[in-house]
Amino acid sequence: MGFAILRTGASSLAPRARGLNAMSWRDRWFPNGEWVLLLVFGGEILFFSAIAPNFFTLANFFEITRFSVELGLLAVALTPVIVAGGIDLSVGSMMGLAAVTFGAEYHAWHLALPLAAAGALFVGCAGGALNALLIAKLKLPALIVTLGTFSLFRGVAEGMTQGAVNYTGFPSGFLFLGQGYLGGLIPAQLPLFVLIVSAYVMLLHRSVVGRALYAIGFTAQGARYAAIPVARRVGLVYVLSGLTASVAAIIYVAHLGQARSDAGTGYELDAITAVVLGGTSVFGGRGTIWGTLLGLFALAVLQTGLHLAAWPSELTGVLTGVLLLATIAADRHIRRRAVARAAAEELQVKNSQVAVLCGAILAGSLIVAGTNVWLLRTVGAGSRTSDGHPPPAALHRTVIAVMPKAKGDPYFVSCRAGAEEAARELDVDLVWDGPTSLDAAKQNELVENWITRKVDAVAVAVENRAGISTVLRKARERGIRVLTWDADAEPDARDFFVNQATAEGIANALTDEASRLLGGKGEFAIITGALSAANQNEWIAFIRKRLGDKHVGLKLVTIRPSDDDRDKAFAETQTLLKVYPSVKLMMAISAPAVPGAAEAVRQAGRKDVNVIGLSLPNINKPYVHDGVVQTVVLWNTRDLGYLAVYASALVTQNKLAVGARALHAGRLGQIEVRDSEIILGAPMLFNRSNIDRFDF
Amino acid sequence: MRMTHSRELSVAAAITALALVLAVAAPGYFSAENLSDLFLANLPVLLVAIGMTLVVVTGEIDISVGSMFAICGVAAGILSKSGAPVWFVCAAACLMGALLGSLNGALVAYLGIPSIVVTLATMTALRDGLRWATEGAWVQDLPPAFQWLGLTQGQFPFFATIVTVMLTAAFAWGLRHVAAGRAIYATGSNAGAARLAGLNTSAVKWMAFTVLGMLTGLAALLNAVRFNQIPSNAGIGLEMKVIASVVVGGASVAGGTGSVMGTVLGVILLAAIGPALTFLGVSAYWERAIQGGIILVAIAADGIRHPAHRRLVAGAESARA
Repeated sequence: MGFAILRTGASSLAPRARGLNAMSWRDRWFPNGEWVLLLVFGGEILFFSAIAPNFFTLANFFEITRFSVELGLLAVALTPVIVAGGIDLSVGSMMGLAAVTFGAEYHAWHLALPLAAAGALFVGCAGGALNALLIAKLKLPALIVTLGTFSLFRGVAEGMTQGAVNYTGFPSGFLFLGQGYLGGLIPAQLPLFVLIVSAYVMLLHRSVVGRALYAIGFTAQGARYAAIPVARRVGLVYVLSGLTASVAAIIYVAHLGQARSDAGTGYELDAITAVVLGGTSVFGGRGTIWGTLLGLFALAVLQTGLHLAAWPSELTGVLTGVLLLATIAADRHIRRRAVARAAAEELQVKNSQVAVLCGAILAGSLIVAGTNVWLLRTVGAGSRTSDGHPPPAALHRTVIAVMPKAKGDPYFVSCRAGAEEAARELDVDLVWDGPTSLDAAKQNELVENWITRKVDAVAVAVENRAGISTVLRKARERGIRVLTWDADAEPDARDFFVNQATAEGIANALTDEASRLLGGKGEFAIITGALSAANQNEWIAFIRKRLGDKHVGLKLVTIRPSDDDRDKAFAETQTLLKVYPSVKLMMAISAPAVPGAAEAVRQAGRKDVNVIGLSLPNINKPYVHDGVVQTVVLWNTRDLGYLAVYASALVTQNKLAVGARALHAGRLGQIEVRDSEIILGAPMLFNRSNIDRFDF
Repeated sequence: MRMTHSRELSVAAAITALALVLAVAAPGYFSAENLSDLFLANLPVLLVAIGMTLVVVTGEIDISVGSMFAICGVAAGILSKSGAPVWFVCAAACLMGALLGSLNGALVAYLGIPSIVVTLATMTALRDGLRWATEGAWVQDLPPAFQWLGLTQGQFPFFATIVTVMLTAAFAWGLRHVAAGRAIYATGSNAGAARLAGLNTSAVKWMAFTVLGMLTGLAALLNAVRFNQIPSNAGIGLEMKVIASVVVGGASVAGGTGSVMGTVLGVILLAAIGPALTFLGVSAYWERAIQGGIILVAIAADGIRHPAHRRLVAGAESARA
C-alpha cells in the first residue's frame, strides 16, 4: 500500500501536470472545483437575506438543516455509488419499504422500538445486498437493476400495507428524534446526520476502500489489475446505500410521525441532483462528500429562500434546473481551460479570474440587496405620517398564508380563485403556495418557512394529520392563527377547521347515488387516485361500511389505481370493462379519473355502464351532457377557498373566537360553526340539470 | 456489431411464457378489442421508446421525455383551440418536441454536459415551468375536429396505426442499413474512434436527441387526440416506463448496443404485464412489486446465462466521452 496517491489528500484528480508539491490552496481545499458552487451558495444567501424576511437568522439555518437530513443521507450515500461509476435509483423506494417495515414491526408485531429499528435497518441491508448481488456479482447494469428494485421495493411496501395502512402513534421520545430541539435550537436529528456524514467522509476520503472506489470509477479494468477486489468494493457501496436509506426512513418516520408506503417518493432524483450539483461526475472517478453537502444546501437554501420571499414553488423546479445546468457548464468550462493551462504552466491568470468572478457575483448581489433596501425605505417613507412616527396599524398588512395539498391540481386551482376573491374583498395579502405534488414532508417544510416569515395566519389543507400537527402547534405557540381546511389536523393543533364535508358524508353520498342508479343491486368498481392516497383510502373505508350497513345488494368487485392521471384511469377502465363485464357502474374518486373512466366507457360503446365520481364540474361537462357520466359529487370548491380565507381573516382580527355559533362570511352569508368546525354544507350532486350553472 | 440477440431472446421468452399463462387462465386477454386497446394505449410509449433507443445507443440518456410529452400535448391543444388547421397542429407538435430535444442535444453534444445532468435539469424545469404557466388547468373546449384529427371517431384509428408501424419499420431498417443509423452505433461504441474515422459525433448525438424530441411530440399528439380535453400533468413517470422498456429490450446504457426490434419487444413485455395481472385477478396492491420482479428476473436470467460478460462491472463502465 505504498502508493503515493494515498498521501495526497482528498483528490483523485490532483492536477498531475503541476506536480504534487505545487498544489495551490484551491486544489487542496476544493479538489473538485467545489468553489464554483460555494460562490453560488454565497450568492444565494446574500440574495435571499436581502429580499426574504427573516431569512438570515440562526433559527432559519438550523431549520434548513432539519429539512435536509433525509434527503442529505440519501445524497451522501449515493456519492460513493456514483464515484464508483454506478447509480442507485432504488433509495427512495427503499425508504418507503423500510418505513412500513418499521411501522409494522412496532405496531403489528409489538416489537420494542430498538428492535423495530434494527429490523428496518436489516431490510435496508438486505435490499442493498440484492442490488449488490445483481450488479457486482452478476455484472448487470446498475441502471436497470435499480430501476427494477425501484419498482420492487415500493411495490412490496404497497402490497404489505395494501396501500392504506398508515402507522402512527409512535412514542414521544421517538418523535423527538425527528421533531425536537437540543438546547432549544439544534434539530435533534442533526447530530446523527453529522455522525453518518463523518463516517462517509472517513470511508471515501480517508480510507483505502475509498481510494479503491475512485480507482474503480476511473477505470474498473485498471482497478482490477491493481489488485482491487472490484466486486466486493462495489457491492459494499450498494449495501451501505440501502442501509443509509433505511436510517433516513426511520428519521423520516420520526419527523412526520407516520410510516406509510409512499415515504421518500421522488427522493432519488432530488438526491442525484444534489450529488451532481456538488460536482460528482456521473461517469465515476470524481466527486467529494463535501461537494455533495454544498449541493444539498444550495438546493435547500434556494427552496427556503423562495418560500420566505413568497415566490411560487414552481420557480424552485425551474431555478433548480437552471442552477444545475449553469454550475455544471461552468465547471466543465473551467476544467477544460485548466487542463489547457496546466499544459502551459500559467497558473496566475486563473487566480485573477476567480477574483473577477467573485467580485462580479458579490457586486451583483450587493446591487440587488441595495435596491431592495432602498425600495423598502422609499415604500416605508411614503406611508409615514408627517410627524415621522409610523402608524403601526397602517403599516402592517395582514398576511394570510393558504396551503393546498398540491398546487396544479385542478381541484385546488379552483379553490384558489375563491381564496383570491376573499382576499381582494377583505384587502389582506394572500400567500398561496404548496407542494407541487402530494408530499407531506414539503407541507411541514412550508409551514416552518411561514413561521420564520411571521405571517399572521396559516390555513392548511392537511395531507398528513399526525405529521403536520407538531409544526402547527409550534406556529400557534408563536402567535400565528392556525386554521385547517379541506382535511383536518389534530383538533388541538388548530383554531378552526373549515369543513366542506366529512369523509363519511362523501362516501355516503357516492354509495347512495350508486345504489339509486343500479336499483339497489349490482356490481361496481372503484378507480382511486394513488393507492396510498390517505383521503381516498378513508373514503373507501366508509364506502365499504355504508355498503354493509345499507346497500347489501351492491358488490364492490375491485379497486384500481389511476395515480391522478387521466390517461391511466382511461386504460384501467378499458381493462376493467373487459375483465368484469358484469360491472355496471364505475365510481371514480379522483378528479382526473372521472373523465378518464368516462371516455373509456364512451369509446367502448357500453351504454349500460354508469360513471359517477368525485370531480370538478368543468372537466366533466361534455360527459354529463352526453349521458356517459350520471352524477358528479362535490362541494363548491370556489366557496371553500373563499370561506377559508374569510374565516382566517376574521380569526386574525379577533372577530371569531371559539364558542361562536355562526359567522358572517361575505357573499356566503351566515355560516354555521359547530364546536371548532366551520361547516360549508353538505356535498352537492352535479348532474345534467344543474352542472352548467357552475364554473370551476 | 450484431451480437447474439441474447437479450431479445430472453425477453421474447418472457413474453411467450406470459402469453401461455394468459391463454390458459384468461383467454379473454387475446380478444381483438383488448389487443387493439392495448396497442393504442402503448403506441405513444413505443414511439418515444424508439427515439430513446437512438439516444441510448449513442451512449446518452434522456429523462426529460415525460415533461416534453406534457408540453407538446398542451401546445397542440392550445393551437388547435385557436383555430389552426389540423396539419399545422401536427407539424407544430413535432416541431415543438424537436425544438426541446435539440436544446437537450445541444447542451449534451456541444457543451459537453453529461446527458443525465442536462435532462434531469430540463425535466424539472420544463415540468414546473408548465405547471406555472397553466396553473394546473386543462385545455378544454377543443374543436370537434381535434379528436382523432377529424377522422371518423369510434373507428379503429388507422392514421395513428399506419404512422407508428411505418416509423417503427423505417427506424428498424434505417438504424442497421443507412449510414446515419450506423453512425449512431459507431458513436456509441467508441466515440473517439468514430471521430477519427471522420464522423461528426457531436452532430450525431445532437440529431439523436432532436429525433427523440420529435417522436415525443408526435407521441403526445397521437395520445392527445384520443380525448377531447388535455390535462396539463400528462406523462409523469413516462421516462421510467420508456427507459425500462429500452433497457429490458437489450440496449446497453453504456452505448453501442441495442436494436429497435429489442425495444419493441421490451415495450410489449412491459405493456402486457399490467393488464395481464388485472386479467389474472391479482390485487392492484401487489402489481408494482410483481412488475419490478419480472423485470429483474428477465435481466438476471440474461446475466446468469452469460456470466462471461465483456464488462468487468457493468455499472462501472459507463461511456466516458
